[in-house]
Amino acid sequence: MELILAIFIGLLYACGVYLVLRRSIVKVILGIFVLSNATNLIIFLAGGIKRSGAAFIAEGAEKIDPATISDPLPQALILTAIVISLGIASYILALKYKYFEVTGTHDLDQLSKTDQK
Amino acid sequence: MSVLPLAILTPFTFIILTLFIKNVRTRNFLSVTLAIINLGIAIYILSAVNSSEMLKTQMGSWPAPYGITLVADRFSAFMLLMSAVVFLAVTIYSVQSIDYERLKNNYFLFTYGILMGVNGSFLAGDIFNLYVWFEVMLMGSFILISFGGERAQLEGAIKYLILNLISSLFFVAGIGILYGKMGSLNMADLAYKFSLTGDFPSLFEPSLILLLVGFAIKGALFPFFFWLPASYHTPPPAVSALFAGLLTKVGIYSLIRIYTLFLHYYDYFWNPIILWMGILSMVIGVITATAQFDFRKILSFHIISQVGYVIIGLAFFTVSGLAAAIFFLGHNMISKTNTFLVAGWVHRETGTLNLKNLGDMFNRNTLWGVLFFISAFSLAGLPPLSGFAGKYLIIKAGIENNQILVAMVALFVGLFTLFSMVKIWIEVFWKNTPKQEFSEKELPKAKYLPFGYMITGSIFLALAIIVMGVWAEPIAGFCEKAATDLLNNQKYINFVLQ
Repeated sequence: MELILAIFIGLLYACGVYLVLRRSIVKVILGIFVLSNATNLIIFLAGGIKRSGAAFIAEGAEKIDPATISDPLPQALILTAIVISLGIASYILALKYKYFEVTGTHDLDQLSKTDQK
Repeated sequence: MSVLPLAILTPFTFIILTLFIKNVRTRNFLSVTLAIINLGIAIYILSAVNSSEMLKTQMGSWPAPYGITLVADRFSAFMLLMSAVVFLAVTIYSVQSIDYERLKNNYFLFTYGILMGVNGSFLAGDIFNLYVWFEVMLMGSFILISFGGERAQLEGAIKYLILNLISSLFFVAGIGILYGKMGSLNMADLAYKFSLTGDFPSLFEPSLILLLVGFAIKGALFPFFFWLPASYHTPPPAVSALFAGLLTKVGIYSLIRIYTLFLHYYDYFWNPIILWMGILSMVIGVITATAQFDFRKILSFHIISQVGYVIIGLAFFTVSGLAAAIFFLGHNMISKTNTFLVAGWVHRETGTLNLKNLGDMFNRNTLWGVLFFISAFSLAGLPPLSGFAGKYLIIKAGIENNQILVAMVALFVGLFTLFSMVKIWIEVFWKNTPKQEFSEKELPKAKYLPFGYMITGSIFLALAIIVMGVWAEPIAGFCEKAATDLLNNQKYINFVLQ
């Protein structure tokens, strides 16, 4: 499972980097989304994946054997990262829309007005 | 009841408060109030830290490795104070400098967001929390940089946004892998576990390199600085000033914090890398700046070069080097911000920042000329201003550590800085206005405010520069204590974990 996931993350990173290097802004934005999902999976993978129960202590019991539960913290981290990337995704799409409205182009090579002649 | 959460909660309260207020004037009043309260909190934290070494708060009363910890040591408190000074000056300045349209659309709300993120980053004792505060700060800065929607701004925003998002991805991937290896996110606990592993295990290299790259992009260090000069000159001048004063410095703060806590366990590997990053940032930043003819662009390249000084101070990794780095960081925040504030005034007066079209500003307003003189020549390192003390400390630390060559490079970079500042001085303030007069743009007049907010903010910072230069001795003494605490990280670990 780890190996499959690792190869999959590698593939996602490759796709993300390829998209980020494209000229179209839309593709760059999609690339950012792919990269952020690949990063979330890295946190998940690095936190250790195993088939086990939720991190709840049964009613009446004092404690629980750590071997029978999976670590909830990486999942909490991923959740936070997903929420943050959702906020940023909505902002970046709005920015793209506004940019297209003002300039009428999707081409990153047109982003040269701020450069010095 | 500890005072630390107040540094985060106060801006948050004002964010909520300002949503309910429709009147622009009341909002302006609120923003200056917040800046003053924030300065008060920062001074209080500084004095408390000065007497009791460190402060901490465990949120929700969960003990250290489990709960979220807020910690302030001398370094954090110093950075909090400097950022509060910068924030107050820029807020006062913005009241007049930002146009009515932007103020009506709640410009100040986003500056509160940045302040909250900056304060949170300085106080975070938990590495994932540091990431979250970075995102809070970045979100505010993303909105501010594109606020108003002019074409240049949107272009700058896209470049700024994409590169900063990529740096956040590096950062969070590093955190994830580090957690997988160490099973902890609390920085003191991580440092404790690192100290147990003894010799540096190669296992941790990937995560630490990812963290280093993340902070190097945020801090605009040598191979990663390209987003900064491409975007900092596009937003309104008050926004550039705020960014120049606060954002990259938070990246550098985090780098110093991480470096002193865990990276140094393998310092014969890291020190040369950091040293070369610093030297190259310094040299390339300053040389590229000489080729520019845009006021703010020159200053943006100088941010990179000045950050290099801080980084070489860190790379010496001795008390004197780190103390010099901390002092220089504080000096650079106020001086750099003030040069951007003067650029804002020039832009308002003439509608352009191209050096070729400007001239004779000294006769238009002598006081602004003097303010530019103070801040620019502080950057260049002339006594008795703060830059002189900062550069002196860095170069002295270099000589003490037998890094004579580095000290020489730092001196030469100082010379080039002086060249750039003199160039701006001559082109903008001294030479006659060029013949082919550009049509004077319709200036955004402050209809509802008396004259003088812009200059008040700038004078405030200029006074801070002079104070930091004249009373350099006690401030450097404080920085030295801060550096001793940073190097002796056992103290930090014990304090947080006890």
